[in-house]
Amino acid sequence: MNRLKPIAVAAEALRAVTDPQHRWIAVCMGTGCSSAASAELRQALAAELAQHQQGVEVRRTGCFGFCAQGPIVVVYPDETFYTRVRPEDAAAIVVQHIVHGRPVEALLFREGPDKHPAPKWHDISFYRKQQRILLSNCGIIDPENIQHYLAREGYQALVKALDTMTPEQVIEEVTRSGLRGRGGGGFPAGVKWGLARQTPRWPKYVICNADEGDPGAFMDRSVLEGDPHSVIEGMIIAGYAIGAEQGFIYCRAEYPLAIKRLRTAIAQARELGLLGENILGSGFRFDITINEGAGAFVCGEETALMASIQGERGQPWPRPPYPVVAGLWGQPSNVNNVKTYAYVPRILRFGADWFRSLGTEGSAGTAVFALTGQVERTGLIEVPMGITLREIIFDIGGGIPGGKRFKAVQTGGPLGGCLPEAYLDTPVDFDSLRAAGAVMGSGGMIVADETTCMVEFARYFMRFVCDESCGKCPPCRIGSRRLLEILDRIAAGQGEPADIEAIHHLADGMQKGSLCALGQLAPAPVLSALRHFEEEFWAHIREQRCPTASCQKLVRAPCVSACPAGVDVPAYLALVAQGRYAEALAVHREANPFAAICGRVCPAFCEDVCKRGGVDDPIAIRHVKRFMADHEYTVPWTPPRLAPKKDIKVAIVGAGPCGLTAALRLAQLGYQVTVFERMPQPGGMMTYGIPAYRLPREVLFAEIEHIRRAGVEIRCNTELGRDITIKSLQADGYAAIVLALGAHRSRRLGVPGEDLPGVYHGVALLRDIALGKLPDLRGQVVVVVGGGDTAMDAARSAWRLGAQAVHVVYRRTRDEMPAIPEEVRGAEDEGVQFHFLVTPVAVLGQDRVTGVLLQRQRLGDFDKSGRRSPVPIPGSEFVMPCDLLVPAIGQVTWVDDEAVALSRQASFRVGKAFELGIPGVFAAGDAVTGPATVVQAVAHGNQVALVVDHWLKTGELGGVYYRPKRHDIPQLFNLDDYAEARRPAPRVLSPEERRHLPGFVEIELGYDERTIQEECKRCLRCDLEWLQRIGEPLP
Amino acid sequence: MAGLTIGFLRRACETERTEHEVSPMPTLTINGQRVVAPEGATILEAARAAGIAIPTLCHHPDLSNVGACRMCVVTVEKARGLQTACTTPVAEGMVVHTHSADAVATRRFVLEMLLSDHPNACMTCEVNGACELQDLVYEYGVAWPQHKGSRHTYPVDPDPNPFIVIDRNKCILCGRCVRACAEIQNRDIWSFAFRGFETKLVAGADQPLLEAGCESCGQCVAYCPTGALFDRMSVGKGRIGQVTRVRTVCSYCGVGCQIDLHVRRDGGRGRIVRVTGAADAPVNGLALCVKGRYGYDYVHSPERLTRPLVRAKWLDPDELAQRVGDNRWSVIGDADKRRSPVTGHDSPISPDTFIAVDWDTALDVVARKLAAEKAAHGGDSFAMLASAKCTNEENFLFAKFARQLMTTNNIDHCARL
Ligand code: SF4
Ligand code: SF4
Ligand code: SF4
Ligand code: FES
Repeated sequence: MNRLKPIAVAAEALRAVTDPQHRWIAVCMGTGCSSAASAELRQALAAELAQHQQGVEVRRTGCFGFCAQGPIVVVYPDETFYTRVRPEDAAAIVVQHIVHGRPVEALLFREGPDKHPAPKWHDISFYRKQQRILLSNCGIIDPENIQHYLAREGYQALVKALDTMTPEQVIEEVTRSGLRGRGGGGFPAGVKWGLARQTPRWPKYVICNADEGDPGAFMDRSVLEGDPHSVIEGMIIAGYAIGAEQGFIYCRAEYPLAIKRLRTAIAQARELGLLGENILGSGFRFDITINEGAGAFVCGEETALMASIQGERGQPWPRPPYPVVAGLWGQPSNVNNVKTYAYVPRILRFGADWFRSLGTEGSAGTAVFALTGQVERTGLIEVPMGITLREIIFDIGGGIPGGKRFKAVQTGGPLGGCLPEAYLDTPVDFDSLRAAGAVMGSGGMIVADETTCMVEFARYFMRFVCDESCGKCPPCRIGSRRLLEILDRIAAGQGEPADIEAIHHLADGMQKGSLCALGQLAPAPVLSALRHFEEEFWAHIREQRCPTASCQKLVRAPCVSACPAGVDVPAYLALVAQGRYAEALAVHREANPFAAICGRVCPAFCEDVCKRGGVDDPIAIRHVKRFMADHEYTVPWTPPRLAPKKDIKVAIVGAGPCGLTAALRLAQLGYQVTVFERMPQPGGMMTYGIPAYRLPREVLFAEIEHIRRAGVEIRCNTELGRDITIKSLQADGYAAIVLALGAHRSRRLGVPGEDLPGVYHGVALLRDIALGKLPDLRGQVVVVVGGGDTAMDAARSAWRLGAQAVHVVYRRTRDEMPAIPEEVRGAEDEGVQFHFLVTPVAVLGQDRVTGVLLQRQRLGDFDKSGRRSPVPIPGSEFVMPCDLLVPAIGQVTWVDDEAVALSRQASFRVGKAFELGIPGVFAAGDAVTGPATVVQAVAHGNQVALVVDHWLKTGELGGVYYRPKRHDIPQLFNLDDYAEARRPAPRVLSPEERRHLPGFVEIELGYDERTIQEECKRCLRCDLEWLQRIGEPLP
Repeated sequence: MAGLTIGFLRRACETERTEHEVSPMPTLTINGQRVVAPEGATILEAARAAGIAIPTLCHHPDLSNVGACRMCVVTVEKARGLQTACTTPVAEGMVVHTHSADAVATRRFVLEMLLSDHPNACMTCEVNGACELQDLVYEYGVAWPQHKGSRHTYPVDPDPNPFIVIDRNKCILCGRCVRACAEIQNRDIWSFAFRGFETKLVAGADQPLLEAGCESCGQCVAYCPTGALFDRMSVGKGRIGQVTRVRTVCSYCGVGCQIDLHVRRDGGRGRIVRVTGAADAPVNGLALCVKGRYGYDYVHSPERLTRPLVRAKWLDPDELAQRVGDNRWSVIGDADKRRSPVTGHDSPISPDTFIAVDWDTALDVVARKLAAEKAAHGGDSFAMLASAKCTNEENFLFAKFARQLMTTNNIDHCARL
């Protein structure tokens, strides 16, 4: 090999980028920060420095990736990281920091619960798990100064290749490094180069695919803007390796800054003899042309890209022949992504083994992602391959903002797939993601929180694909439109059950029949959404309900959507506002017969989503409900019969909220209904689980009485498996049997000593109290284990029974407690002491409980429920002495009937129509869902009744949905008058009053009529807005 | 005749590659049958040569292959996904299944998609019975889709071109017209505009055809597999089952394109209702020029010359009177030549009146006048223009006539103009 001309590196540049003592200020000039006025900022800094006679360099740099916090300024050598810096802040930075050496506190990035400022950029958790290889020059060098690149050993890989390696050796090295194409396909780059080299035709071309088109993705742009020479160097090396003299960079015209920087870089490289004839005297010749694309997503597909370079319509060609054989103008062409080329100089410099050592076995190196969506910290990140999704989203991204839960993450952009919580531990690499049903893609990562509707999510990507399909082949051109049309219909509530089938059919046809990857992969987002969130699609189709209340046409009002039973909230609020309480209650009872009960115990899902909550406070919906029900419940109500009386007997087993609701609905439909209940009183958990201080007995029994009045017979003290069996019921002529058994059996702690006397399960305690067997707990120390509603009820009941001290131990923190927050607050008010992050490991005592051995926990990673799971801290055990230990960590269903025995499961597994597999036998309620709320049980009761009715009539299972009627009630006052009105403060008995009142007196007080009516008028009447939206007349 | 399109280039490159390969005639297996094909051939070509049918829509043997319609997909063992037979080159040892379950399902899907955006108009469609889409839908038994999706409603016949009718609603975007125009006619008038479902076949920059530079040759019509492009003169004149094809040679020029006259016989008299190129003709295939394709209306024109006409002043007055008298010659009225010849003694005959005479008389007049002119002014007072419509032999005779009899070199030919 001939000796190459050495490249001279300016001493000044060397000092600027390599001297660890060098004092300079980096101002990010990527597209993100530039659009936030970083150019003005840079000038302001320079002016301030000049004014204070500080000879400090202000340097434009590439993107730091933390664009949402931009403009970013970093002061070196101390690496102080300033975010959201405005031009006005220049003075502070120069005077305080540069002149006086004191960092400007106000501009530091703050994070964590205590909002602690992070002075150095590597201290910020956004950067802590990152590994910046490809982006290592971004934020350091001036991308428009080739000397900076050279000073960072730039073009040394080219020198090495030209000087010491044959083209074959270069290909061998790249192959050995395991570098896979970063455009999404993941094809081994070295292998591709080898194929291009082998094709015995000339000329050959090196093409760089910089047509980054994924919505929200800007990985390639950042590399081109921040470190353009790395791409150019990679392309020259590729040219040398495959035997090409001409390179093309196909870059979208929407990236003017990237194109400008590339132009500058190419001109500078030419000047130094790094491009053009006889590069560095080696005899090798190579040059690069930039082609500007017109912004068609499909031009990111390599054959469409080449068609576009040829000046034709950007439409893909079929392969084979592959571009390495016949590509641009029919010549062998090597097409790689920006990042793939940019890795190459690093691989040649540090060796294939170094690259292999990063990342995983099958996917070497790092991955660059644009993290966007509902995640605390968005931006551009570079991480080692093999990192988990959880680490990216929670550790780097900081989790989901606003205390919301994670729902799904879409990788691979609009052609990728979404993954739910259960897949958060999937390692991020080509093969693992593909196995999980998503793809690596070119690096988009979109996070969705629990408020995201997956139908809408899928629809968004499908709309994108429809707009971007090139139109060449029918499967994609027409198939994508048909898919979008179906999704549009589903989102508008006009979906049909057959649509799910149709989606699969269209998706299959597109995947198999489409010409290019766009059409083949386009159905992936819909399919993955359907795979992981099928129920959500069904809710839209069957119930015309959008569970996240996002689909505009389906959401009459968010409160109605959120209510499991679909109660028409705005209608009864409007009626109560007018004093029409009986009508209001009738509206409620159509969906939920237990207004007075739910007015007291419902967690009020409706209030969580109430629009007014976004203005000031949500409407006090539960209180309104309680008021109207209390106003009326003593008036005997005979539920209307909706169908003629039939001579068909139906048995309901279990007189809880689900069983009673099902019984009521079936009786209304004309059936002869008998409810069998094992306890002496009906009501199930409403009677035996919820203490009377929350739900007074007279209210409870009055509402159950209405059900009897519908013609339902309730037989108490009759237990399934003992007094009756499935067989005996069938023999007695019951045409259908609904098991609404609830979930009564307390979960065991699974620790030694838990069978000692003095272990009193929460469920048992509450049941005994309801049965009147009040244990005397005076002077005793009670420890309750658990964080749910049963634990709260048990703790507060223990306090009422005179316990000297009540402790609640819970293995996570307060934030993770499933109990209704008001209950937790109530318990606290009553003096219950909470101990978080502890869990029992043994119950202590000889023949009676004397204490419990607890172990401290710390919060580890997020588990399947989306909460951080507790991890034991070894050696942290301590004893908590007690007289009574009350486990309340959950309940399971239990039944002793051979026909429907539950072996090990906690609940029944039923089909879509609640069927148990035995003809005519159904199960619903807590026995299916596990412990839930009254209103969820009611919703099940409504639904199972309809299913049973349909089955009895037609023999078909499913296909019917309980949809409460819609009531359009006019608004009779001016809403503007209530713009300032606020939700009334809660009224409860004080703890002192509670202690001095005998027994379990109700502690929550209602409001007076006037307050309630005024409160109703605060409702924004989302339902009327919706009527306008769908074009129906206002009432 | 091929234009420089990508497809052609790529095919050319493929052939070029042949030189470097070891086996010049790869052997492959199609549906269990051993097939030998020339290197560079596509699976489709290999299969068809072996008598194995693979359905196609966007493919035409005269045109480059683009792999757009996806009808020809086949399963190739060891290859990922389905391959389009029309574009995939054969390779040694390849195992192909043309009717695998996936391939058939995909074809059905493609047809289903195409139908979902197609007017259900076969009843009135000009190409009913001669439509490739219809044939495939029939073969694959695809039902008319009952869906709520959108269909295009482009205006029918939006283009003023006198020879071509466009109905984009029937267009399946196969691109055959695009390639026919570019590769055969070298005009490159057609292309696709817009994206996705809105993709539309446009002439020029979405202009009327003639404004876009169209020559009205009708090549695009000839290659359209559906009724999206059709010959305007033939609209409503008779569909494929109602006509007889008569093979003949175009009479316009000496190239000798073979054409099929579509003749409709209702009762006795036949009428030419359409002219198409003859696919199997070695000279032209389906291609024709605007005259050959659309210039056939003269055949049934009342103005057509069927007998020699001579002005009265060149005839002998006595003979004229006598022959007109015994009805052997007839007087052609000047007033309205569109009407049938007017006969009768009392019609006034002016010196310029045309008289329909017998051939001998007419040729005598010509010979007499030529001889007189030559005698009076010399041979160079004469010039002769021959026609491309004539055969070589006839043109040879013309040259001989001019040079030897008229003694002049003033002879030329319209093709030189
Ligand atoms: S403002 Fe009214 S209608 Fe809207 S969510 Fe709240 S309660 Fe429901
Ligand atoms: S008529 Fe001929 S020139 Fe005109 S568009 Fe068709 S093929 Fe092209
Ligand atoms: S007009 Fe005919 S040939 Fe042209 S793209 Fe449409 S269907 Fe194909
Ligand atoms: S005939 Fe092969 S894709 Fe159309």
